[in-house]
Amino acid sequence: MTDTGLELGPKSLDSSVGEFVKENSDYYSTEFAKIQGKTGFAWSWNTMAAIFGPLWGALRGLWGFFWTFLVLELFALVQIGRGLWGDLGASQMARWERLEGLVAKRQQQAKELLQQGDNEGANAALNVAGNLRKAADNARDAAEAASSEAVTILVVGLVLLVIVKVIEGFYANVNYEKQYLRWRAAPEVQTGLSWPSAAFGSFLLLGIWPLTLYRFTVSKPDALVTEFPIKKQFFTPTANWLEGGFDWLAVEFGNVFKGVTAAIRAVLDGLEVILVATPWPVVMLVIVVTAWRLAGPRVAVFSAAALAYLAMFGLWEVSMITVALLGAAAFLCLLFGIPLGIWFGKKPRAYTIALPVLDFMQTMPAFVYLIPIIAFFGTGKPPGVLATIIFAMPPVIRLTALGMRQVPEGTKEAAVAFGCTRWQLLTNVEIPLAMPSIMTGINQTILMCLSMVVIASLIGAGGLGANILEALQYAAKGQGMLAGLAILFCAMVIDRIIQGMYRRKTGQA
Amino acid sequence: MSESVIKLQGVWKIFGDRADEAMAAVQQRGLTKPEVLNEFGCVVGIADCTFSVERGEIFCVMGLSGSGKSTMVRHLNRLIEPTAGSIEVLGKDMLALGGEELREMRAMHIGMVFQHMALLPHRTVRDNVGFPLQVRGEPKSKRWEVSQQCLNLVNLEGYEDRFPRELSGGMQQRVGLARALASNPEVLLMDEPFSALDPLIRRQLQDQFMALSAELQKTTVFITHDLDEAIRIGNRIAIMKDGMIVQIGTPEDIVTNPADEYVKDFVEGISKLKLVFAHSIMEKISDYKPARGENLTKSPRTPHDTDLDHLIDIATTTTQPIVIQDSAGKDVGVINKSTLLKGIQGGKA
Repeated sequence: MTDTGLELGPKSLDSSVGEFVKENSDYYSTEFAKIQGKTGFAWSWNTMAAIFGPLWGALRGLWGFFWTFLVLELFALVQIGRGLWGDLGASQMARWERLEGLVAKRQQQAKELLQQGDNEGANAALNVAGNLRKAADNARDAAEAASSEAVTILVVGLVLLVIVKVIEGFYANVNYEKQYLRWRAAPEVQTGLSWPSAAFGSFLLLGIWPLTLYRFTVSKPDALVTEFPIKKQFFTPTANWLEGGFDWLAVEFGNVFKGVTAAIRAVLDGLEVILVATPWPVVMLVIVVTAWRLAGPRVAVFSAAALAYLAMFGLWEVSMITVALLGAAAFLCLLFGIPLGIWFGKKPRAYTIALPVLDFMQTMPAFVYLIPIIAFFGTGKPPGVLATIIFAMPPVIRLTALGMRQVPEGTKEAAVAFGCTRWQLLTNVEIPLAMPSIMTGINQTILMCLSMVVIASLIGAGGLGANILEALQYAAKGQGMLAGLAILFCAMVIDRIIQGMYRRKTGQA
Repeated sequence: MSESVIKLQGVWKIFGDRADEAMAAVQQRGLTKPEVLNEFGCVVGIADCTFSVERGEIFCVMGLSGSGKSTMVRHLNRLIEPTAGSIEVLGKDMLALGGEELREMRAMHIGMVFQHMALLPHRTVRDNVGFPLQVRGEPKSKRWEVSQQCLNLVNLEGYEDRFPRELSGGMQQRVGLARALASNPEVLLMDEPFSALDPLIRRQLQDQFMALSAELQKTTVFITHDLDEAIRIGNRIAIMKDGMIVQIGTPEDIVTNPADEYVKDFVEGISKLKLVFAHSIMEKISDYKPARGENLTKSPRTPHDTDLDHLIDIATTTTQPIVIQDSAGKDVGVINKSTLLKGIQGGKA
């Protein structure tokens, strides 16, 4: 046959398989050809892989294979170990021995009492002895049953091991062929046999298998194996030192913290006046009409129903306090978050520095930063708002920055070419084009504020969160449910209004 | 009559952190583009560009992608700062302008059209066209009046209140053109304005642009990667390769006298019928030996600047060779059928 250069026949594939497997290339060429010729699962048997299991995987650089079968074989081996030398009835046996001792003691006691002529006492002791005897017999039966299970467990373990080996044998070549395809695309994939890899695999195996087997098969393993050999000698001093640090900060920067508290309180008070002190019909009407104008009639109907729910169950005032809390937190989030996001969007380096801080704010469990907040700001509503801000600010920052970065360079360039100043560029081009992303950020931030309301009530923020906390403490299921639904409705009304507003705006445009 | 509106003198642009060092090395040792990349890790965007554009002229810059033509045009309004050289637009040294003056220059005197339109999606067509005026602080009424006029110029009446995404690509680019015209600039920079459009629309827009251009007499720098387009539109053409200008000349110069193999390759597929004129293919009348049956006195006569297309028309009506006259009406040359056919084939006798 002439080589047209067009058809990469089996020959050229063969040579590359040889280059990949290094050893045994004839065998693997045949097997890979078989696998590549099948559409379904190709039954290709690899004896070495079946015998050596994970170690074969390590030698060939198949670490997925190595770890999977390391665990599976270990599981089978533990069963075998338990069956062979695991003292299965040990605890029951010990109980039986202890109980037998007690029975003997009671019988002895009865004998002594009988000799002393205390018939009643002797009878009582015998009675007890009889009961103990029954318990002892039960324990012995259980112990015997357990040790007779040993054989079953051993058999199960052996069967499992064989099954695992068979799977290894059949899966090895399929897996190796996939690795071969990966290697064709990325030449850094390991080829051939690697003895260092095999050594590392053996090291892992020797580290993992014996200790695990020891832990699960021996009835009373050494304490060194079961728990980390360390007490509180590092923990306590560090915790104390941190505590001292917090106290020092709270004293040194007391005025700063007071200032922050006062600022938050001012915003909060303003909102509470609007929402709580304004007559309820006015607030309701304004919300429903806003919903209607911004998001359409359906959202308006839904809002009216949700507000009616709050009013009917007497949750109106608490809900409004909650919304004021949420509003203050959201307002402050947006007030600082959007400018920060814009700045980060324009200065990638600042964003890189801020990123871990944002991650920290979002992933740190809320309960943890409630502690320093209490230390610095005390309890009550402003610290609650502050905790909410920490938790809820990252999304609006992130999404604003994202939106700013997604403004096409070409559009910005065009604006500059027409003589825009930086401010004109920002207000006429960048912010409007980033708006969809910013709106998503605002929405997420508001919803995250709401979800923080319950947690913030732990430090005395009040509102619906306090109702739920109370319900939790007294296991008052009904109260908890009603208050929970109230939070849900608040969230949904706000979310629907914002979403609807944005959809309408983009829809009509 | 002619007055240079745009003057570039030895303009270089080198991209990279060590651009200044690389520039110095280039000036001292005359490094080539790959050498600069090797030694300094810097990319030479444009190298030693020198040319000037006359008032009212359409100056085409042609080159393949990566040849630096878009980079070059961005120097003219200083969207990109040159590494070396001088740039003068409308008699002003662009590099000496401060921030405020530069913005004024861009807002009042230099309009620009982009390949990807770069319209503002959240503004109506009217507000997009009025954007350069808004930047200058013009009131709404003025903006709307001007944008109406500009939209009329590009035949987009009735689309004022649409959003860009509701328009086709060709219409969007006409909005782009209207926007560039809105501030009534003396200079128009067009960065591959028609490249992203399909061929039919492109041709329509070219025609429309040429008509507009004849009417408005704007000095235009027109970037394209399409030699046909450059020849159709340009009064003069600069051909760029690897950041350097290889040849500058009229379309006929370029087609009949390609400066090197690179230009020659481009010119190969171009139809020369409208670009090659009688004087460049004719034989001198004194050298011409009439064949049997030929009588030059019976030949049709035509001026020396008749193009090939027209010569073919004449040749089909007669069996005699064609006699070419100079502007004074004197017989200077002769073109017979074989000369004509050779001319069509190669552009040169």
